[in-house]
Amino acid sequence: MNIGNFSARKVSRRSVVAAIAATATAVTLAACGSGDDKEATSAKPTGTVTVKVWAWYPEFKAVVDQFNATHTDVKIEWTNAGTGQDQYTKLQTALKAGKGAPDVVMLELQEIPTFALTKHLVDLGKYGANDVKGDYAGWAWSQVSSGDQVYAIPVDAGPMAMMYREDIFKKYNLTVPTTWDEYKAQGEKLKAASGGKSFMTDFGANDGGFMTGLFWQAGAKPYTYDLASPSNIGVNVNSAEAKKVLEYWEGLVGSGVADTTAFHTTDFYNGLNTEKYATYLAAGWGPGYIQANAAKSSGKWKVAPLPQWTAGANAQGDWGGSSFAVTDQAQYPEIAAKVAMEIFGAKNTEAWKIGIDKAFLFPTVSPVLESDLFKGKAYDFFGGQKVNEVFVPAYNGIGDLDWSPFNSYNFNQLTTNLNQAIEKKTSWSAALDTAQENIKTYATQQGFKVQ
Amino acid sequence: MTEVQTPPAAAPAAAGPSAKAGTRRTARVKEAATGWLFALPFTILLIAFLLLPMAYAFKISLYRSTLIEGEVFAWFENYQQAFQDPLVREGVVRVLIFGLVQTPVMIGIALIAALLIDATTSRFSRFFRLAAFVPYAVPVVIGTLMWGFLYSDTIGPLSGLGIDFVSSDVVLASLGNITTWQWAGYNMIVLYAALQGLPRETYESARIDGAGEVQIALRIKTPMISSALILATLFTIMGTLQFFTEPLILQPLNPGAITQHYTPNVYAYNQAFSFQQYNYSAAISFLLGAVVFVGSYIFLFVTRKRSALR
Amino acid sequence: MSLKKGSLLAHIVMGVMAIYFLLPFWWLVVAATKDNAGLFESASLWFSDFHLTDNLSALFQQDNGVFATWLRNSAFYAVVSGVGSTVIAALAGYAFAKLRFPGRNALFTLLLGLIMVPATALVLPTYLLMSQMDLVDTIWAVILPSLLNPFGVYLLRVYVHDSIPEEMLEAARIDGAGELRVFTSVALPAMKPALVTVLLFGIVASWNNFFLPLVMLSDDQLYPLTVGLRSWYMSAIMGNGGAATFSVIVTGSLMAIVPLIAAFLMLQRYWRGGLTIGSVK
Repeated sequence: MNIGNFSARKVSRRSVVAAIAATATAVTLAACGSGDDKEATSAKPTGTVTVKVWAWYPEFKAVVDQFNATHTDVKIEWTNAGTGQDQYTKLQTALKAGKGAPDVVMLELQEIPTFALTKHLVDLGKYGANDVKGDYAGWAWSQVSSGDQVYAIPVDAGPMAMMYREDIFKKYNLTVPTTWDEYKAQGEKLKAASGGKSFMTDFGANDGGFMTGLFWQAGAKPYTYDLASPSNIGVNVNSAEAKKVLEYWEGLVGSGVADTTAFHTTDFYNGLNTEKYATYLAAGWGPGYIQANAAKSSGKWKVAPLPQWTAGANAQGDWGGSSFAVTDQAQYPEIAAKVAMEIFGAKNTEAWKIGIDKAFLFPTVSPVLESDLFKGKAYDFFGGQKVNEVFVPAYNGIGDLDWSPFNSYNFNQLTTNLNQAIEKKTSWSAALDTAQENIKTYATQQGFKVQ
Repeated sequence: MTEVQTPPAAAPAAAGPSAKAGTRRTARVKEAATGWLFALPFTILLIAFLLLPMAYAFKISLYRSTLIEGEVFAWFENYQQAFQDPLVREGVVRVLIFGLVQTPVMIGIALIAALLIDATTSRFSRFFRLAAFVPYAVPVVIGTLMWGFLYSDTIGPLSGLGIDFVSSDVVLASLGNITTWQWAGYNMIVLYAALQGLPRETYESARIDGAGEVQIALRIKTPMISSALILATLFTIMGTLQFFTEPLILQPLNPGAITQHYTPNVYAYNQAFSFQQYNYSAAISFLLGAVVFVGSYIFLFVTRKRSALR
Repeated sequence: MSLKKGSLLAHIVMGVMAIYFLLPFWWLVVAATKDNAGLFESASLWFSDFHLTDNLSALFQQDNGVFATWLRNSAFYAVVSGVGSTVIAALAGYAFAKLRFPGRNALFTLLLGLIMVPATALVLPTYLLMSQMDLVDTIWAVILPSLLNPFGVYLLRVYVHDSIPEEMLEAARIDGAGELRVFTSVALPAMKPALVTVLLFGIVASWNNFFLPLVMLSDDQLYPLTVGLRSWYMSAIMGNGGAATFSVIVTGSLMAIVPLIAAFLMLQRYWRGGLTIGSVK
């Protein structure tokens, strides 16, 4: 409400100028005044309603076709508006312009506060989203909601685990590590035994989600943020836990145990295919990803739980994951909300068959997650291992984590400073301190009360 | 339309006694009307897509917006911030270094190539002329994607050299190589065209006096095409100051080396489209535009005697 | 004697440079015949298993065959922007060179001044203005700004000024031809070589355009090739969880440059002609 009042004052003061700003503010106001007038204007539609959806899931076309084939009242019109930041860029500009945004949009979990802050996401709690709350793990639901306000419906997640090359482990007589200390020891053994030919893994500092997943496991809480009080934020990016993680990896990289090739580049894929990397710290969507991009190494991989900081503990982290949100440009928010809940909902097993078998999504919705369809699925790529027996417990062991309402800046600071530290061989902890300082300055400039 | 038609009607009345002068004046008014009519579509576009956006960019650059408080008028605060922003400075310094090194290298290659095809007439020289020009036909995006693959350690043919082309020490040179590859041929043709326009007699006589081909090329031909050289240099420098597409495309290969503030343009783009800082972005764009604009004119003014744009 | 040696040296230098300019193309042609595994494993400058046809069919099937749409969009934008900007530049260039009208010099000076304004600086404000006119994410958002070609106007003005004598136009006027008639039947034919050049440059500039459509368009059905291929490249390199099909991107790159290179080879004399106007003057 704070924001609404402030905007109202602004509008009256400079009505002459800044037409675009006024438009943007007007949209904010409309969203602020919220449901009431929306519901008043959106009379019950007649005939088939077309719902525009932006998403970049692999194999999503089949899901859309299946949805459209089974619905007569609603039709999904799907656009792939780009992967990640490309889509967010377009979404932000379309939301700012007050035109051109879809009704339903795929948002990664870490982006939800960013878009919710500007009041461009419809509160799905009004449309019965809280009824499906029980289908999701607590941490996953808390990623998309604040109290009874629901900003998005979770779709997939990326609980982390360790993929390892059984052949390389056998060849050099390595044991599967269960703690990070063991992991380091095995890495050093591998380095010596292979003559530096193989790395224990690749640390891709170009992926903020990957690094945050590791911080998450170590118990770091980079931000304290609740959309219920949107102008207050706690910034603790350079916490002791996060520094512990980075100092550990700085050591592995410095001693040549871990590589630093950027993730998803051709050189990285090649490393997975050859004997360059003995492990790959992967997310729940990783099995499909590695199978598609390292086909040559098929049958050589196995999955084990992520090594722990404390022996015997069960600390987990998440890397990636996404949801469906409804924007304030949806003509019929209620129908859009239904679509968002249904596409990859608990009951839509047909969609999940595609999602699991073709797109290799890791479902967040528990009935599907625990079903034999998913948990009992054996992967030829992993020599017949039922890898989700590792990923599902990892998913259930994940704790809460708040994201900032300016995640582009957050990830940019993490990756830029880390990459520069790697390039210039300077301290990684210091890089994290720099990120902390920059983010605090940025947050203050943006008008947040920073704690 | 009405405006255009009024003058001819009014003109004869003012024309006075001489009927002949009257028709001439009618013709002149008609000519003026046609002139305006012909120039009108262009003028409208000029206003709509150049002057208006410029004015608009300037206007929004005077506001500040924050996530929490919305937009407020802030005079020149964004400019002040830009001048103090070390990331802007870093980008500006980088494009200046890039421009100062890459421009002479590329124009040098273009000049050598142009002199060579001007001095030889073999079939191979005609083939070469084409070969050097073809990269210009490749969209910058695709040229950069291609070089991105060529630089790759695993699928490129250059992996044997043992150079990490996207490491922070080398990447500027790698980017320079892409622009050189793309534009050297184009500039070669520009310079070659200028060489072809020279009167042959000047160096025929030098040749009779015993001057070698190299001497003729350097002492006679090169100075005579200086205006074309200056123009080519100017356009290259303008291009390098606006450096954008190549770093944007190569960025994922090593974001530590190619940062989000790598060049002023990349920075402005990210400010606007990744961080929603439209106002600050507009200020950076406007500053960059002003620098390029003023720089070009100073350059042209200093070299005005030889320059082509009079 | 020395001349011959010089010429041998000249040819060696040209040979080395030619390799530099052509090697990437050779790589691209070779790479487009390989599947994804072949790209990674075989020697990069020579053929291994031949998969060009597979790659082509994968290219035209990926994402519902959107590549064909991109190809068509690129051609459409290029032709419409190219022809449109040439017509507008021809009218304006002729007016600046041969017609006296009040404000002519001021306008032309303005044009000269604005040739130097960096285009990239204008994309963002143009976007914001376009979005107020509801034109964002339409073909007009790409085409309308591309119709403005100050340099083309400058080139044509110079060409008309130098190559069409005043007497030619006077003669037509004395014969009773109206201004429009003089333009279409006398000036235009004489401007043909320069027009073709401006048209070619316009088409190439539009075909290669990237920043403007990148910012203006969200709907992938409206993308030109440059933006579309980059989006595929980004999703490969961002790791969206699916397969990173570099072989498709490589083949797509080849397909995107083949039409332009063909046009180049066929129309090369016009290029040279046009560049002469631009530079020597």
